[in-house]
Amino acid sequence: GGLVGGAGDIKLTKDGNTLLKEMQIQNPTAIMIARTAVAQDDTSGDGTTSTVLFIGELMKMSERCIEEGTHPRFLVDGFEVAKKATLEFLETFKTPVVIGDQPDREILKMVARTTLRTKLYEGLADQLTDIVVNAVLCIRQSDQPIDLFMVEIMHMRHKFDVDTRLIEGLVLDHGSRHPDMKRRAENCYILTANVSLEYEKSEINAGFFYSNAEQREKMVTAERRQVDERVQKIIELKNKVCAGTDKNFVVINQKGIDPPSLDLLARAGIIALRRAKRRNMERLVLACGGEAINSVEGMTEDCLGWAGLVYEHVLGEEKYTFVENVKNPHSCTILIKGPNDHTIAQIKDAVRDGLRSVKNTVEDEAVVLGAGAFEMAARKHLIDNVKKTVKGRAQLGVGAFADALLVIPKTLAENSGLDTQDVIVSLENEHDRGLVVGLNHNTGEPVDPEMEGIYDNYSVKRQIVNSGPIIASQLLLVDEVIRAGRNMRKPT
Amino acid sequence: MREVVTVQVGGFANFVGSHFWNFQDELLGLADDPAADAAFRTAPLDMDVLYRTGETLQVEPAYCPRLVSVGSRGSLGSLSSSGAPSLSSAASDQLNVTTWSGNVTRSVEKPHGRNLFLQSLTEQEPNPSTSNGGNNSQKSVEDKDLVECLEKDVNFWTDYTKVQYHPQSLYEMYGSWTDFDKFDNFGTAREVVSEWSLMEEMNEKLRFFVEECDHIQGIQFIVDDSGGFSSIAATYLENIADDYTNTPVLLYCVRDPVTHGSSRNQRDTITRSLHDAVSLSKLSSFCSLMVPIGLPSLSQSSLSPFLSIQDAKPFHSSAISAAAIHSVTVPFRLQNAGPASNIAHSSGNIDMRELVHIISDQGRQNMVTALDVAMPAPSLKDGNDLWNMKSLRTLTPEISDEEEDPYSVESLVVHGVLRAGGHRASISQVKDSVYSAYEGRATKPKFSHLSVSPCPLPIPLPFPSIFRSHIGQHGEILSNHAEGTQPKGSLDVESIPMAARLRSSNAVLPFIERRSLSLQKFGVARGSLGTQILRDWGFGREEMEDMSEHLSKMVRAFHPEGGLTSDSD
Repeated sequence: GGLVGGAGDIKLTKDGNTLLKEMQIQNPTAIMIARTAVAQDDTSGDGTTSTVLFIGELMKMSERCIEEGTHPRFLVDGFEVAKKATLEFLETFKTPVVIGDQPDREILKMVARTTLRTKLYEGLADQLTDIVVNAVLCIRQSDQPIDLFMVEIMHMRHKFDVDTRLIEGLVLDHGSRHPDMKRRAENCYILTANVSLEYEKSEINAGFFYSNAEQREKMVTAERRQVDERVQKIIELKNKVCAGTDKNFVVINQKGIDPPSLDLLARAGIIALRRAKRRNMERLVLACGGEAINSVEGMTEDCLGWAGLVYEHVLGEEKYTFVENVKNPHSCTILIKGPNDHTIAQIKDAVRDGLRSVKNTVEDEAVVLGAGAFEMAARKHLIDNVKKTVKGRAQLGVGAFADALLVIPKTLAENSGLDTQDVIVSLENEHDRGLVVGLNHNTGEPVDPEMEGIYDNYSVKRQIVNSGPIIASQLLLVDEVIRAGRNMRKPT
Repeated sequence: MREVVTVQVGGFANFVGSHFWNFQDELLGLADDPAADAAFRTAPLDMDVLYRTGETLQVEPAYCPRLVSVGSRGSLGSLSSSGAPSLSSAASDQLNVTTWSGNVTRSVEKPHGRNLFLQSLTEQEPNPSTSNGGNNSQKSVEDKDLVECLEKDVNFWTDYTKVQYHPQSLYEMYGSWTDFDKFDNFGTAREVVSEWSLMEEMNEKLRFFVEECDHIQGIQFIVDDSGGFSSIAATYLENIADDYTNTPVLLYCVRDPVTHGSSRNQRDTITRSLHDAVSLSKLSSFCSLMVPIGLPSLSQSSLSPFLSIQDAKPFHSSAISAAAIHSVTVPFRLQNAGPASNIAHSSGNIDMRELVHIISDQGRQNMVTALDVAMPAPSLKDGNDLWNMKSLRTLTPEISDEEEDPYSVESLVVHGVLRAGGHRASISQVKDSVYSAYEGRATKPKFSHLSVSPCPLPIPLPFPSIFRSHIGQHGEILSNHAEGTQPKGSLDVESIPMAARLRSSNAVLPFIERRSLSLQKFGVARGSLGTQILRDWGFGREEMEDMSEHLSKMVRAFHPEGGLTSDSD
């Protein structure tokens, strides 16, 4: 949908999470559902819309039973049984994925594509699929959890261009601040530093800090000298490693660099960037190697990283520095170009979801057949095998839960303009014949998700099944209290 | 020139900021206006300290505030977050979606109307009939309408702003469903703060402005600390302290008088007290100097003989804080004429680091300062007269009126002061008069610093009509005036001589003590009522005790046995 705010700010989204965050929700029940759905996104990166749908459907099914006289307590008990059984069923239903050192790129692409296609049109989604898979595999290091922060997502506003590309290396959103520094350099040593190269003490003119002007002058000179010495140490290292070669030297500093220091560095042929963002320090070391130094004392060649190419790109008043052809890319950048903020924001949201889906797959070591296949199968399992093991009215809760699962294939059908009842009947028939199928949203026919490569994240599904009934139960029991209160007030 | 970057966080902070930037915008205009008061042209303040030169998205040169403003979603009114006036509805109708081929649902919020004043800003060409002298009356009728429209109806801080903001400047926090959970205490912002992307985006915006500074002198930070924004500011300040370790941060905690409403029950009272205590503890931990501003009522305050302020209007009350903050920044922007220059255009320029050093590093290690203003500052009389120190009235709440403190440290700014007869007083006249006033005090402060500039506070058109009828065109106090007339506004008053003082003295002790006590009483003591509230806000036992200890330490700075003796050698 497209959201246009009161000041004409535009937000485009296919993402339930974005939508919820943009909306001003006032109904307390809706807020509760929204919070759960957004929390869902925070932990597993997706599934907001499904969570909202599922909770809504659980409530709708419950309402019917309550109208017919069922006490909410029975429904809640039934939900609990059904939830447990569904989670167990998910364990047997999921498709294990062997990760190892060389993960199955094809299956990762399928998961990423499934996610991206829910947010962007197919052509664009497919273009991004390789990018997000490659990005995650780039930053993945064996025996370590995947830190998606090591994928930097950058954007450029560009009049006509809609383009996204993966840079194995880094793109910084600033450039050098000296006119004489090179705008492009090959074969670069990279010094990642967190060292103040600016004169920080103020120029004293209030007159009372020092007893006389001479003393003041001395202090100022001494402090300036300390800064100059730090710069000199960097220049010495540069001369040591670069002299007599065609190699270049780039300093990327988290702290400030003042004009006199920039001058010294520029004269020594060094490119210097100041005030790099903190997270980029970590990323730089992962991309270029070397280490981030906090002091210029005892600096050696081993501290330095390496990049084959460093160049500056200017776009209006914005400058970007590309650090490419790096030694060991364990950090990379996804660069999104778009004509306006809302297009960029939408692609960015989709890319984030895509990255999460790949990371989830690697960590889950499993995926789940999509297109509604899981929900159809789980419902059948609940009706055929679980419901009869439950005594009394709690059975109604299991039934309500099972029917609520159908909201996923129903919504898929609805979104494609198909008749939901036809679709559900034909899917049920296939499942009764023992075939695990989902919905082909183009034709409305049952489809084998495995053949089509439609896979969802295991952890996302698990969380939806887990949190949906918890919230629905809370709402039902709150409702019960309200009902009780109402009844007590009536006789007066 | 040394740059200052400004940060505004929260509703009322942005109201204050809007006036503050209007003053600056007015100064920019006056410096180039041959018809303007000579004081604005001959000794202008250095605007580059607060402003940056850059380009707009349309690649036109733009001179914009170095500013990051944080507010809640929807608080920008008719201004879009890119700093441009809102898109016409036609433009949003033509919105084409390039990323999705399926169905698109469009939901369009009713656009906020642009009031008469905002409309007048975007009219490209002035009405030709107003440019010839004969039709001046028509022009003033128009201005009168603009002033009236603002007096009647201001809903957003953007309703009266005349400044062009940089696209990186405005940040709206999304979500958090604040309509339901009132965003009125430290705990309510927990979810928002824990959202890493939000803090990351705020940090990025600030970094944009800091990176381009060659010699940043400091960050001035205005926070509305009456509710959840206090917690957001605390996290923001913590990040700033991490990222820009040696950069001083001057923090103004501003409050709208309406937030001082009475509590409904005991739980409310305790929540308020704990909020105030936690805010002080957290905010003071990550700034260099903290200035609480916000009397419970301005209409009843000692400013009322000169100013007619309606407490219910944030448009009114924020103007006072903004004027005071403007005065405090004057010394950071005085042009250094150099010792060779004979004519002193100004005196006492100091940068933010020096100010911090003066106030909080000498004598007591106290960084909570009171802010006093004289608005308008009284004129000098002829002869060797003492400047009237009593004309300074405090804007800081909950402090004592204790004047006699031999350990107090002050920084006083006096700008645009007049002599009898309406001429601008010279720098040396002001200095002499103020110094003799200090000499005349029974208890002299341990240290005082004075900055003087001839540049008064300019009164821009969108300034509220709050001047009593005996205030003259240049802020002089008229002796013969008609009683009981309507308050005057920007059409009658062009400028105001101002004085502002930052004061670290034992007068602020009650402010700190009260907060320290409430944290001990309601929060830390076993079985106390507030422990649960603090736990709900996410504070464990240990953190409560840390905060409490931090406040106790701030109180101890005032007790002579606590280290002052070592200073006497």
